[in-house]
Amino acid sequence: MRRKLISIAFLAGVLSLLGVVVAQLLTAPDTAGDRAYQLEQRLRCPVCKSVSIAESPSETATAMRQAVQEQVTAGRSDEEVVDYFRARYGDWVLLDPPARGRTLLLWLLPALGVLGGLVGVAVLALRRRHQPAPFLSEEQRQQVSHAVADARGKYRREDLL
Amino acid sequence: MKYALPAAGWAGALLGLAASLVLALYGFRAQRHPDKVRVSQLRAATSMMAVGAALSMLALETALLTDDFTMSYVAETHSRATPLLYTITSAWSALDGSIVLWAVILAGYILFAARKITDTTDRLGTGALGFMGLVAAFFFGLITTVANPFEILPDPPADGPGPNPLLRNDIMVAIHPPLLYLGFVGFTVSFAYAMSALVIRRAGVDWLVRTRRANLVAWSFLTAGLVVGAWWSYEVLGWGGYWAWDPVENAAFIPWLVATAFIHSAVVQVKRGMLQAWNFVLALATFGLTILGTFLTRSSVVASVHSFTQSGVGPALLGFFIVVLVGGFTLFAVRGEAVANRTRSLRLASREGLFLLNNLLLCLFAFVVLLGTVYPIFVEAFTGNQVSVGRPFFDRMAVPLSFALLLAMGAGPFTPYRWATPALMWTRLRWPLLAGSAAAATVTLSGIRSVGVVVVVFLAITIVAAAVRHLLVTAPNRRPSGLWRLISGQRAYWGGQLAHIGVAVVAVAIAVAGATATRTTVTLEPGGSTEFGGYTVTFDRAEQHTEPDRVQRDAHLFFHSGGELAWTATPKLESFTNQPQAVGIPSVWSTAGRDIYVALAQLAPDTITVNFYRYPLMSWLWAGGFLMAAGGLWALTDRRRRPEAGDRSPAEEAPASA
Repeated sequence: MRRKLISIAFLAGVLSLLGVVVAQLLTAPDTAGDRAYQLEQRLRCPVCKSVSIAESPSETATAMRQAVQEQVTAGRSDEEVVDYFRARYGDWVLLDPPARGRTLLLWLLPALGVLGGLVGVAVLALRRRHQPAPFLSEEQRQQVSHAVADARGKYRREDLL
Repeated sequence: MKYALPAAGWAGALLGLAASLVLALYGFRAQRHPDKVRVSQLRAATSMMAVGAALSMLALETALLTDDFTMSYVAETHSRATPLLYTITSAWSALDGSIVLWAVILAGYILFAARKITDTTDRLGTGALGFMGLVAAFFFGLITTVANPFEILPDPPADGPGPNPLLRNDIMVAIHPPLLYLGFVGFTVSFAYAMSALVIRRAGVDWLVRTRRANLVAWSFLTAGLVVGAWWSYEVLGWGGYWAWDPVENAAFIPWLVATAFIHSAVVQVKRGMLQAWNFVLALATFGLTILGTFLTRSSVVASVHSFTQSGVGPALLGFFIVVLVGGFTLFAVRGEAVANRTRSLRLASREGLFLLNNLLLCLFAFVVLLGTVYPIFVEAFTGNQVSVGRPFFDRMAVPLSFALLLAMGAGPFTPYRWATPALMWTRLRWPLLAGSAAAATVTLSGIRSVGVVVVVFLAITIVAAAVRHLLVTAPNRRPSGLWRLISGQRAYWGGQLAHIGVAVVAVAIAVAGATATRTTVTLEPGGSTEFGGYTVTFDRAEQHTEPDRVQRDAHLFFHSGGELAWTATPKLESFTNQPQAVGIPSVWSTAGRDIYVALAQLAPDTITVNFYRYPLMSWLWAGGFLMAAGGLWALTDRRRRPEAGDRSPAEEAPASA
């Protein structure tokens, strides 16, 4: 009985603390953030090695940041700003490859990977059900315990841990 | 004697090539006919290979230190004005020399592996030496052909251009590449043993137990190499971050992920006899991916598909990668049947089940990063179009996978093998969960509203608390001596726990530094000031220093707090003679709680433009990373088995459901 009470106390503690966390997160003020900076992070710096224009000190990136800034101030939407740069530099300028066209496969393959993993686990787990526990004779049991003792003597304990 | 050094280096490489071919020949012959080869012959071949590699490296270093420009490599990468330290590191700061370093480290690993083989009846070991000989032959072959640093220039230049500017302004160049190579090369040992076991149809844990040390050494060095690399990028490149998902970074990260999966699945096989076939696949994949990573880094294929034949090394590495993959998987397909265990059943709610989950997640992670890295190359090769795969893609994939890994890590080490009941898991995890949720509540109440940070803190604290609880519960007594006896007695387990705590610290640092960073860009005139991170920052002056091989321009910025000078930042721009682009070097002020990072964006005659960043908990990232590497090393420094009493294993607790 006492055990059960302790267990319930723990559960109540964990749940109420997590409740506080969720309540705090849900009531968090919606911070819009720096839109220009978020856009800059999605655009590739044309003269650097795989960094966005937000991160590059180069002059090209500075000019591009200025263009983003101006368009955001002019009230253009995210898509309009991105399309503006796509028209000038091509798909290459998007650090975040769109889920269509040439980069569609990039989205499908990880999904296939997840699916493959799930199927693999399911197969392993299902196969278990169809296997009866092997019956070992006394002689086989002794063989096993000999083999275990043998392995324990042969390897350092640490190697078997 | 004018050409003595290039000749000595070349002779060393040839000796290494010959010795590795002989080693391969003797090794395979010994595996087939153990009585026809003596151990001394294998030893001699290994020693000669090591001598050859050492001779090559020695000749290279001597030529660099004595300004011997008759050697092609010295003429291409050295200059008389290069300081001593960077002259020494020049030996691996360009392609050809880095292959020599690879050969030296490989020879070292083989030398250690061969010491364990005392008898040619050890067919697993002799066959593995044969495979190591083949790998070594490939690398010595590279040195003697397409990556030859020892070509003789009949008309040597008076001076050279010196190393790449990025490789001569920070001590890291002396640390990062050797660490990374110690990691990469080490996985050759488990690959060779896996192949050897397949050849002689040797199932069982023998090959895993015997390569455990090499694997842990390699994994620890690779971990440390990655951390040092990130640190280097952060301290030197001045773009304000430590990880850009750059193909060169990914090339080292992908093998790390698969190697991490491997050291975990090896435990499952050793303890429970499962995942036998899977371990062969992982050993093969880890080695293959180190070669692929080297190919991606060392050929210019990433910059443009069409430039990867600029040097012969690119095609040679790609060819070797294909040979390893095709050869290895063919052997596996032919012999896999003989070594795979099909009868063992697996329950998902058990430690081995969570190990399996961890393996799937790590492999999926590696697959996604590999996909994102090579996808643009394939698109360009087949359609001629250029696409980019950058941080937004990788982050979106990496974040959920990392959360899942942290979850598995929180439960896995405390789950029993075979069968875990919910009641037992609750007993073991209720304290840690309470601690984790208390920490998460504290974080949200302190004003941090980022979901990512809160979840990471919750998981990290749960992981650490679970490890601490397990330590207290299973120790022979709770005095420091008792805890120490447990930690130093079960080094494999507690080394792993140390590494897990390191991962938890790294995760917290990444989440907090990412979500709560502040940044600003300011243009200042001399005497002008601004506010940043609670400090008043005043731009004092810009200076120019001329050194033999570089011109250094720096800005002096005073950080005042409450009228007192707290810190002076001196971010720099360095221009090297003979190199067009200037390198921006940031100024970083690290404390335990936060980093202040100052980088010059522009240095005009009378104004400067500066980027200020404030990263909370940044230094925890490096500490956590080194903790991971230390955990790996702790796991391998085991002691001999002591038969006396007192070596009792801690009793597992009874399930609470009773």
